[in-house]
Amino acid sequence: MIDLPSRRTFLGLTGVSAAALVLGTGAPANAQTPGGDNVPADPFQLGVASGDPEPTSVVLWTRLAPQPLAEDGHGGMPRRDIDVYYEVAEDERFSRVVRRGRAVASPELAHSVHPEVDGLRPGREYFYRFRAGGEISPVGRTRTAPAARDRVDRLTFALASCQAWYHGHFTAHRHLAADQPDLVFFLGDYIYEYAITASNLWRQGVQVGGAHAVEVKTLEQYRLRYALTKTDPHLKAAHATAPWVSTWDDHEVQNNYADAHSEYGVSPEDFERQRAVAYRAYYEHLPLRRTSLPQGPDMRLYRRLGWGRLADVNVLDTRQYRDAPPTDSTAGGEHTNPARSILGTEQERWLTNNLRRSDATWTMLAQQVVMAQIDRDTGPGTTFSMDMWDGFTANRDRVFDAVRRYGVENFVVLSGDIHRSVAADLKADFTDPDSATIGSELVVSSVGSDGDGAPTDSYAPIWLGNPHVKLYDARRGYVHCTLTPERLTADFKVVDHIQRDDQAPVSTVARFVTEAGRPGLNREA
Amino acid sequence: MGATVKPVRGLAGQGGLGWIELTWQADSYHPLVDHFAVYGSTERDFQPGPANLITKTVYTRHRHNNLGPTSQTWYYRVVTVDAAGNASRATNAVRAASTDSVTVSGRPVAVIGQFDRKSLELALAPNGYAQYPTRFPQDADYTHGVSTPGADWPYLHPGPADKWAGSKAHTFRFRFTLPAQPTGDLALAVWLIDTHASNPGTLDVSCNDTAVAAVALEKGATKGSLQGDATAPGNPLRPSIVELTLPRAALRAGENVLTLGKATGSWHAYDALGVFEPRR
Repeated sequence: MIDLPSRRTFLGLTGVSAAALVLGTGAPANAQTPGGDNVPADPFQLGVASGDPEPTSVVLWTRLAPQPLAEDGHGGMPRRDIDVYYEVAEDERFSRVVRRGRAVASPELAHSVHPEVDGLRPGREYFYRFRAGGEISPVGRTRTAPAARDRVDRLTFALASCQAWYHGHFTAHRHLAADQPDLVFFLGDYIYEYAITASNLWRQGVQVGGAHAVEVKTLEQYRLRYALTKTDPHLKAAHATAPWVSTWDDHEVQNNYADAHSEYGVSPEDFERQRAVAYRAYYEHLPLRRTSLPQGPDMRLYRRLGWGRLADVNVLDTRQYRDAPPTDSTAGGEHTNPARSILGTEQERWLTNNLRRSDATWTMLAQQVVMAQIDRDTGPGTTFSMDMWDGFTANRDRVFDAVRRYGVENFVVLSGDIHRSVAADLKADFTDPDSATIGSELVVSSVGSDGDGAPTDSYAPIWLGNPHVKLYDARRGYVHCTLTPERLTADFKVVDHIQRDDQAPVSTVARFVTEAGRPGLNREA
Repeated sequence: MGATVKPVRGLAGQGGLGWIELTWQADSYHPLVDHFAVYGSTERDFQPGPANLITKTVYTRHRHNNLGPTSQTWYYRVVTVDAAGNASRATNAVRAASTDSVTVSGRPVAVIGQFDRKSLELALAPNGYAQYPTRFPQDADYTHGVSTPGADWPYLHPGPADKWAGSKAHTFRFRFTLPAQPTGDLALAVWLIDTHASNPGTLDVSCNDTAVAAVALEKGATKGSLQGDATAPGNPLRPSIVELTLPRAALRAGENVLTLGKATGSWHAYDALGVFEPRR
């Protein structure tokens, strides 16, 4: 973490800039909230974050929670609005402050704030902090995207996913934060909805009360689960070190859900009620822009991130709009129905248009579930997981067709979900190893889910039995990438244990390089 | 945001064996509902409070379970809590009753085990399912008066989704003797301490080769294969009950054979089962 700046500077703040953003109340930016300065002590225990950088703006985040694990989900806050002031500086001592403003933290949003700070300079580092009453937050580091037409020599970014808090310490985030990447892509399963009991609490040195021993379904329970997850100091450090670009998978709502379909016998109408509170809690706890503010059971999460002429990133949502699982599990059966979609009509059209218009050197998809075909039968038969893109083969074919039709040369897919480090070539025809390689897929392992893990396990023959899969490792970890106009270098990082403590050192289990203009993975280490 | 929190509408209760199903209607989005707090009491004039909170849910229904084999009458009130923590007033109390089990109201004819929410007196209980293929290669064939629960009726009845039991259908037989064809229908009670959470399958019941019923089992918690006491505090098991009529025409004097087949889905875990003469 970065040292705190002078309290006096921030406490001396009086006026509010015209750029102040008030979210959730409609109050004018220059009017203070009555009583909004009376804040319980130590309200910044859930940390600070930033996200979704654009060339001149970034969204900041914090949530006031002096008692993060208060069982009503309100973090120990009174049921009234609170003024939260922020400032953004070019240096971490805050001697060159460039923006100041105010946001209103309201109980409707669990006293979270998401101010979008505009008027920043493209492609540079900034520092930010918050104040509520007399309390000052830790300092976060963030970064704006380069201007759309700028040449960019280098971007570093990390991939992370799958944070089952109860399965172990977030040691991977400790190392990820120490790397100080320019960006973090979080690819789903930020929380898990399962009850935390003696049988799955593998994280040693902690205790949780009975409020955590229930499957999460209500808003107060989702808020409590996010707060519990965010008590991990390394997760907070990772948020504070770089802007995050986040998407979700299933466990932010319920295992394996598809649109309004639950596999646990809940009616679509009632499941949408659960989705609504789950999406609300997700918004409340991540640095997301106003465009992602949920409306009932709906939330727009898919979006595009540009990084100069270097990269176009399409952040996908393969959960909210997907068709229900096929009724048969037969290879070649319903999962190949051309009408099936994992993206939904609108998102697919949006993605196709983005692929058509993309003129950056690298075009990436930041998304949840594995896109490469994975035959899970090690014998002569063929079986697929219908929860991944294999359950929607026609949709995958349409995306690949667009990649080829529009000449997307350097196509990279970033995925999570499986709690394993996997790297794969994306093939024009997965059944023909000699067919053209049209891109590559980097699948990040989990930060917490599945506990310690091991270099290999019983699933290794399944994954490595697919000739386009180039790596399989079953330990916890993350991926650190360096992107230049010439090449993408992906270092798969792993830690040997996470259950007993957070002290495991990090090692690089594999390095893959993809040269621009030459699709496919080349293993260097 | 800022809208008044309204109580739910149309709160109603429907009773079944060991449960009361509550349903209601609500607008969950304006303002966003955090949860519905369901309060219940056996006293008509109760006031909602922590001591009588039954559950918090986002759904517009809740099944109040584990009410036991004897009919119970309950009163319910629901409070709506919104995303800001504001609560509605409580609804008026609604009355509902569960129904009697034939194990309470009827006369036992032939029973395996005890209807006590535990599988512990049955063979291989509480977690010895791995021995099933060697101990019961032909599945269970139980003769009332001769066989014993601890040796001859396994606590777990596998289905074709269970690789550990050969990924095939499994049929259990329960033989019992009647001195004469009964003058009316009998009843079969099958109490389960748990079923598989996502794939509980169907129980096919026949009596002397006459098909009686195909019962889609309720989804459980997938824990009954490993633990056997659904009365233990904090246990995760999700018991369910099947009680159905055995038509007089399917019964006969002498030996009768009930078959319980599992041709779809995964296992279910028994508490007890038995044939009863209902109260007329």
